[in-house]
Amino acid sequence: MNLGWKEMKRNKGRFLIVGSIVFLISFMTLMISGLANGLSKDNAGLIQAMPDGQFYLNEDAKENYLLSTIDEGSEKGTAFSIQMGSLFDPNGKQQGVAFLTASPSAVFPAVQKGDVLLDRSLAKEGIQIGDSLTNNGLSGTLRVAGFVDDSKFSHAPVAFIHSADYEDMFQTNDRQILFSMNSAAEQLDGLQTFSKNEFLQTIESYKAEQLSLTMIISFLVIISGLLFGIFFYMMNMQKIGLYGILKAMGVSSRTLLRMIWTQMAVVTGTALLLSILASQLFNQLVPQEVPFHLSAANTLWLSGVFFIIGFLGASLSGVQIKKAEPLKAIQQGEN
Amino acid sequence: MTTLELKNIRKQFTNGGASEDILKGISLSLQKGEVTALTGTSGSGKSTLLTIAAGLQLPSSGDILFEENRMSALSAEARRNIRATQFGFVFQSAHLVPFLTVEEQLLLMLDTAESTLGKSERTQKAARLLQLVGLEHRRHAYPASLSGGEKQRAAIARAVIHEPKVLFADEPTASLDSSRSRDVMKLLLDLTRELQIATLLVTHDEEMLNYTDRVIHMSDGAMARANSLIQ
Repeated sequence: MNLGWKEMKRNKGRFLIVGSIVFLISFMTLMISGLANGLSKDNAGLIQAMPDGQFYLNEDAKENYLLSTIDEGSEKGTAFSIQMGSLFDPNGKQQGVAFLTASPSAVFPAVQKGDVLLDRSLAKEGIQIGDSLTNNGLSGTLRVAGFVDDSKFSHAPVAFIHSADYEDMFQTNDRQILFSMNSAAEQLDGLQTFSKNEFLQTIESYKAEQLSLTMIISFLVIISGLLFGIFFYMMNMQKIGLYGILKAMGVSSRTLLRMIWTQMAVVTGTALLLSILASQLFNQLVPQEVPFHLSAANTLWLSGVFFIIGFLGASLSGVQIKKAEPLKAIQQGEN
Repeated sequence: MTTLELKNIRKQFTNGGASEDILKGISLSLQKGEVTALTGTSGSGKSTLLTIAAGLQLPSSGDILFEENRMSALSAEARRNIRATQFGFVFQSAHLVPFLTVEEQLLLMLDTAESTLGKSERTQKAARLLQLVGLEHRRHAYPASLSGGEKQRAAIARAVIHEPKVLFADEPTASLDSSRSRDVMKLLLDLTRELQIATLLVTHDEEMLNYTDRVIHMSDGAMARANSLIQ
């Protein structure tokens, strides 16, 4: 007989309250996680979308890509540069962008001199293919040759331009970053190696933003863990006399533990399922302008964490069950 | 035929450095098909003796023999297993599981005793026993909707559904009025006879002794006298 299920059927209200709290906390955590991922994509989607490989910066740059200089003609990989700037559309409206130029490779889209490829978010600002855009540092104009997806850097849409236009605009032949698709890091003279994640951490704004959001998610997970534990503890404290009586009758602690694990699994599982559905619905309905991205992997990972926390919280109550004294329960019941 | 035998049971409690003898060398044997009553004033040690006999606590010295098993030599798990499969319990308060129906209380006990019966056989057995205790019409009722007498009858049915060899009943009529108390005692006696159980009962109600086969009067942790009522 599944005692856990029987009790839940009989005391629906009590378990509904616990389930609602688990739902609200997990939903809030998924929402914040979605925002963290959205902001992360908005800040460094360009880098995240790059294939796995190694990034190299000049050793003297002290892990700051803006201070790094790499020879454009390096044969070890793709040399590229990113500079924040702006473009004026045909209506004279200024758009903040991150200019990117790279040596010819399959890593970034190829661009002809005088052309520009823009992140698709600028299409929503009214910019169209064929438009001529200007920049104060550029002698000519840039013709919009097309749009690309998921290319944002430092919360700005990326503008892919030809190296000649870049050099015209920023007056430099040097590149900042060397990227190699080799999975193993290679020691290059005067250069420091970074994995993709390590390189993302060198971007100060990304690091600070993600650190704050990670802290919030961590605290939410810790607080929810404590809440799970407290709720199951309180529920079991109320039943400690019953556990003692059942133990006196010969019901094993294992059966009682299975009872609370069943309850934890049903309550947490149902609440998580609902919060996943609600967050995925939000993911579909949220306006494009809101940086929100909740991947299936992230959702599953967080759900797994919540499930483990719920299991630990319920197991903590198992200690009470182990300690429940049949004799004490009988004597207390008789008074 | 002896089912459970207590030999020279002593129990000492230490309180603030001073030790107190709660039981002073009690010996008794419980026979199949008989109700043995322990009676005496409050604090005479009768409930302590019952819990020791039931393996819920160990004596300071002395032996409890159940079918050649020395209870004090068994592990806690082995004693639990004996409680689950061979013993039945009726408490002063019925102590029914609040979220199980009357029928489910009985089925839980069959689960606990690891009964080899199939699902339908279990249900049939529960139905038969509920009919015997007059609760067949309340089989789907929850404890909250039962009267005191009904609760106690359900608790008795739960205590014997797995056909235990020994039934322990601690003041089973204490929370009932005289009429219901007599009903419950008659039921206990009938079941003891029918299922050939050895029943050990604690009561302070003199009238209820009429429904027992043997009475052991306890005073100050010792047996004052024992009367056999068997004709």
